[in-house]
Amino acid sequence: MADSSAMDATTSTGDHAASGPRWGDLGALCLTFFSLGVTVNVLVLDRVGSESLTIVAAVAINSATTELAYLAVRDAGGTQLAAVIAGWVVASRFGLLAVSLGARLRVGTWHRAAAGLQSFDPNVTWAIQQRQPRDVVRVFWRATAAMHLGWLSGIAVGVFLGNVIGDAQRFGLDAVFPAALLAIIGNLLRRRSGALAAAVGGGLCLLLIPITPAGVPIIASLVGAVVALATMPEETL
Amino acid sequence: MSWAIVAVLAAGVWVQRLLGMFVGGRVLSRQPALGRLATLIPAAVVMAVIVQLTVASGRSLELDARAVGMAAAGILVWRRAPFVVVAVAAAVATALVRMI
Repeated sequence: MADSSAMDATTSTGDHAASGPRWGDLGALCLTFFSLGVTVNVLVLDRVGSESLTIVAAVAINSATTELAYLAVRDAGGTQLAAVIAGWVVASRFGLLAVSLGARLRVGTWHRAAAGLQSFDPNVTWAIQQRQPRDVVRVFWRATAAMHLGWLSGIAVGVFLGNVIGDAQRFGLDAVFPAALLAIIGNLLRRRSGALAAAVGGGLCLLLIPITPAGVPIIASLVGAVVALATMPEETL
Repeated sequence: MSWAIVAVLAAGVWVQRLLGMFVGGRVLSRQPALGRLATLIPAAVVMAVIVQLTVASGRSLELDARAVGMAAAGILVWRRAPFVVVAVAAAVATALVRMI
């Protein structure tokens, strides 16, 4: 599903920390994931060509960024291995979100596992702002339900639309692909360390595209994260 | 993307989330830099993917309609526009430039 640090435009996380998200917040979250589900799955179907594979990929991988990163490397002519590595590394943030959630979750092992697999920005951010352990659980699953309602209906509409539209390039839909990714990392770029990591990673990629095999520039961009970490070790998250 | 690739990608994402939930807290309390790295990696790698999708055509660099769409998206993301607005603006700007 969507890895949406960008969703702050529709999901104000700070205002109702104690009482949890209101119905309006949940509706906005649902709508955001719906539009993400539609766009991402139109694009995935365009490249994969199979409805069933598109739907299973969206539900099983549960990370739009991973799907888009994999397809981007393949589009550029990169190997399967390079594309898979790119898909994996962009999901590293989910592990970190699961850590934040795990620290506040007082439930059994299976419940923890289920919650861990659904760690995204909006639901974890809302949940960990709650004071009572039972509110953490309640708010987490409420937000998760709103996200999935939007994402799953978005998948259905996206697959349907993808079949109707046909060639995605005709409507400028190929430009939605990088735009969606930019929206997803929007919040990371607002921090100086995130902006530096992106500038170094993106710049290095630009330099390497003409001179290295496809896929290498994207893997090499990991250096940007290391440079940002080394340059700004003290900045708090 | 094949069924096997979907399984491999899904496994990688699942493992990272479960590791975070069950062992991440202990690891990060000893190695806090790892947590910062995990946050910075997507910024660097996703930006590289964006660059690739916006200006690359195979192994050559090309400035075309996609760059205009991305410029529109960049301004809107900076202004904190909702996702759907960013997506539609990028598509419309790119399609318009191609029509000209």
